[in-house]
Amino acid sequence: MKRRHLLQTLAATPALLPAQQTNPSPDENVVLTVVSPESAGLPVRRFFTPEQFATLQTLADLIAPSLDGRPGAKDAEAAAFLDFLLAKSPRDRQVLYQRSLDTLNRTARTKHQKAFSELGPTEANALLAPLKVKWTYAAPTEPVAAFLRAAKADIIRATTNSRAVAEANIAGRRRATGLNPYWQVIE
Amino acid sequence: MPTFNHDVVIIGSGASGGMAAYILAQAGVKCLMLEAGPMVDFTRHRSMKAVYDLPFRGFGEPGRFPHITQASEFDANLWTDEKKNPYSHPESDPYYWVRIRLLGGKTLRWGRASWRLSDYEFKGKDHDGWGENWPLTLADLAPFYDRVEPLFRVSGRNEGWPQLPDGKLLADDSTESLSMERFLASAKKLGVPTTKPRRATGTLASSVNLLLPAAQATGNLTIVPNAIVREIGVDPKTGLVNAVHYIDRRSKREYTVPAKTLLLGASTLESTRLLLNSRSRQYPTGLANSSGVLGHYLFDQFYVKNTVTAIVPEARGGKGPRNLMGGAGYVPRFTNLKPGKPEKNYLRGWAWDFGSGGTPSPELFPQWGDELARTMADVQGAGFSMTTMGESLPRFEHKLTIHPTLRDEWGIPAPHIEQRYTDNEHNMAKDAMETGVALCEGAGFEVLAAHSQMVPPGESIHELGTCRMGADATKSVLNSFNQAHDVKNLFVLDGSAFPSGGVQNPTLTILALTVRATEYLLAQKKQGKL
Ligand SMILES: Cc1cc2nc3c(=O)[nH]c(=O)nc-3n(C[C@H](O)[C@H](O)[C@H](O)COP(=O)(O)OP(=O)(O)OC[C@H]3O[C@@H](n4cnc5c(N)ncnc54)[C@H](O)[C@@H]3O)c2cc1C
Repeated sequence: MKRRHLLQTLAATPALLPAQQTNPSPDENVVLTVVSPESAGLPVRRFFTPEQFATLQTLADLIAPSLDGRPGAKDAEAAAFLDFLLAKSPRDRQVLYQRSLDTLNRTARTKHQKAFSELGPTEANALLAPLKVKWTYAAPTEPVAAFLRAAKADIIRATTNSRAVAEANIAGRRRATGLNPYWQVIE
Repeated sequence: MPTFNHDVVIIGSGASGGMAAYILAQAGVKCLMLEAGPMVDFTRHRSMKAVYDLPFRGFGEPGRFPHITQASEFDANLWTDEKKNPYSHPESDPYYWVRIRLLGGKTLRWGRASWRLSDYEFKGKDHDGWGENWPLTLADLAPFYDRVEPLFRVSGRNEGWPQLPDGKLLADDSTESLSMERFLASAKKLGVPTTKPRRATGTLASSVNLLLPAAQATGNLTIVPNAIVREIGVDPKTGLVNAVHYIDRRSKREYTVPAKTLLLGASTLESTRLLLNSRSRQYPTGLANSSGVLGHYLFDQFYVKNTVTAIVPEARGGKGPRNLMGGAGYVPRFTNLKPGKPEKNYLRGWAWDFGSGGTPSPELFPQWGDELARTMADVQGAGFSMTTMGESLPRFEHKLTIHPTLRDEWGIPAPHIEQRYTDNEHNMAKDAMETGVALCEGAGFEVLAAHSQMVPPGESIHELGTCRMGADATKSVLNSFNQAHDVKNLFVLDGSAFPSGGVQNPTLTILALTVRATEYLLAQKKQGKL
């Protein structure tokens, strides 16, 4: 069980000693504390091959490392989330991710005889050079450059919108972000 | 058994349908309103949630809204389901049709920017020879704008400019931030006019709170949600509308109601779709289409979102005085205002919305990792951005037709939509970008990114035309009171009636036209002409 979940569970369910037991209430409006499926279990990966996933994890860590106590992509489990998101994404997006992760890995092996996930930071960062170009409205035509631009945005968003970042904001007394009105299905 | 004691049927409950009910019900007219969508309950349907608690962490379900970039995972359930309500467009020319099928329509979400049109639009053809004039002038519509603005509590600043007529506004006397002052000074130097935003105020400025409750309080308005109108029936003897056929959204059961007078406010493309789907012996190509222009002259305003993104250097690192950042403003059209040959390589012009104090997107920086994180901390709240809204010219070949085979979930033939931007719009966008960069540089801002790529047609949510009004019945569908030339008891009130649209957001004009049309209808009834 994840530490975070363990803490929540401990907080939510005080030990029920017979003396403390509350009497059953006939009231319908009971309030129970629950947790989301995401914080209760480990996500099952469905989409990327183990090699692609390792490449993506390394890439995510380079793009959004933790800094000054602020959680990064690793703490946010951004790569695992993107595995889930990509499994549901349109085919052209899936192909862009899969092929480009393979290309990154192949380039790493050709240049350094190592998988991308085994490279040191200097070697790995050097392979992200296409991200250094000045922004243009149209995405780059070269597939790896286009992928890196898309992945950078996705990784940052998956990290920023994570529970880990929200908890760190609250713990650091920073302004909580990401709280918005949610609309239910209207029937 | 229903009693059918209504005098008029209104289709749609958004800006146009809501305003029609507001005027008519208060004048003692019994109104039956048919609305395709369900009713929203703000208490029951809305609750606060954290982004990390959403199944897709705020990305939204992939592929759910291929054409609605405005939809977020928080509000996904408000937007029209594109699978149940399909449409098509040429593969090479994407069209982003943004719809809300709920009681209140798009007024539940509109941005509330509220500008009057001017005689540069109403008399555009006289000015530069392009297109058609409206069959009315600002003087005809001004008294109705005068009534709508206070109702929607529009705030702003009157400037006395001919291209942006003054209104009955709540005065916006707010002071400018220092960065804004610098931008305004730079604009002034280059002869570019600037003003405050003009917006409907209040927590909610929708048909559901500002119009429908007052209408219903009279006892003269019956609202029927979940009633999708499929076709309009016509009396074969008189050629007048005599019935409305609708489908219960949930059960798909079909119903018919008699209609003595019909007011159509289903929104620009839905109203025209309905007229084109209402074919009969008298009107073989669609109801009220003797001119052959029904469905044609579709246009909107093109948007170049974040044409320029800049940084106010003194605001980096959270430094600078407290009143350095913040605020918003508007630049009205200022090109080609002199009559005759245009001064630019395009006709007409564009406007800008601009704002100070945002944080530029990380995408714009050629960095990642620690370097990017430090940059983002440095530029937090230090951004300045401008969005361009340009006039797009109505053209016959830009149109809505009925798809030969595609149908919606309720079996109603779906639309095929064709619109693309032409050189006129692209030249304008380029000029807007270059001028925007000059203004920001003149203010001493660091320009981070600039582009002139407009979003696809439709995405501005200002779709207009396809059932245009005009003085000549052979070239238009409606007269100046939104009444069909061919069918006297049919009024089309929404943006489909516009012959041209300028750069101003259209809803205020839709509302003013609706007040004018419904009061004309009342006068006609009084005179026994309807
Ligand atoms: C995010 C957003 C921001 C916007 N910002 C601005 C802004 O700042 N300024 C501005 O001027 N405008 C803005 N708009 C546009 C504005 O909302 C529309 O111009 C306005 O609502 C149009 O009014 P309408 O009555 O034509 O259509 P709607 O308000 O869309 O209402 C039409 C109604 O008809 C119903 N309907 C459709 N088909 C049928 C049918 N077959 N049978 C029965 N009912 C039917 C629909 O369900 C809907 O409720 C914005 C819109 C959005 C979504």
